[in-house]
Amino acid sequence: MEPAFILMIVSLTSLALLLLGVKGLHLTRAGLGLVLRKVCESIGLTLVVFLVNLAIGILVILAWRSLTGRFVSLYITSDSTVLILSLLQALSFQAWREGSRHHHRPESGGCT
Amino acid sequence: MNGSRLIQSLGLGAVVAFFLVSFTPLPNVLNRWAGVPSQLEPAEAIVVLAAGMDEHGELSDRSLQRAIHGIVLFQRGFAPLLVFSGPVQRQAGVDEAGVRAEMARLFGVPPLALLTVATALTTREEALHTAKLLQPRGVTRILLVTSYDHMRRSRLLFEKAGFQVQPAAVDDLSEAKKPESRLQLMRQLAQEFCARTYYRLAGYL
Repeated sequence: MEPAFILMIVSLTSLALLLLGVKGLHLTRAGLGLVLRKVCESIGLTLVVFLVNLAIGILVILAWRSLTGRFVSLYITSDSTVLILSLLQALSFQAWREGSRHHHRPESGGCT
Repeated sequence: MNGSRLIQSLGLGAVVAFFLVSFTPLPNVLNRWAGVPSQLEPAEAIVVLAAGMDEHGELSDRSLQRAIHGIVLFQRGFAPLLVFSGPVQRQAGVDEAGVRAEMARLFGVPPLALLTVATALTTREEALHTAKLLQPRGVTRILLVTSYDHMRRSRLLFEKAGFQVQPAAVDDLSEAKKPESRLQLMRQLAQEFCARTYYRLAGYL
């Protein structure tokens, strides 16, 4: 019941946003496709950054254990905040990359 | 396939995986596949594994669940000894094993039937330190109490330490139905999968 209810609510609001975009704001379908690809890219980048954070965390803990002989649990790397921080890192990096691309694009010489 | 396409495919895969985990019974199926069913038969001792305690000395939900399961098994006469594991929490100044043993006393378990292992920090150490405590007493057959997803690794470690292990999983009937519970279950399964991989690479299993 609960999963179906959540999916129904999200489907309805997605449909409303689609209608708002197409009818109200006259956005293009091609634009939507591009944005969905960008969203997938952000999520993929988040996953990569998360795995790198996790791997570095594990390596640092294992090195700390072997160098100091003191125990630190590997479970601290599985805190949910690591995923949220990875998302922020990925979004910031992606926005920076996009911003730099626009910044470095040569000025158009005007209409020919 | 260029880098950007690869990252996009990874992202799409993550979205699909999110929907499968949250909105289908996939995590429950994986949980049943990864766990070990209980085998409740009389043993020489009941061994309850640690599951964490906060800096105020309060047991985590899992720790409490495991402790209560161990006490219930003892009260039902499955074994004459009840062993609690759980390390010292420095800030609280108490050990998880001691807190659970005290709780067992309050539930009517005789002090002479209680033993604690407060020196083990990992599952592997729990197996080794419990073996040091119990094997000189002639105990080889144990009922092992831990969470369902943690049982397979724990059982292998305790068998390696010389015990005959009968699993007594705490939550083998639990089925996550809400999307959030399924995500939580998947996270536990992923954590346990990583732990098993690490133990295999380290040669502990």
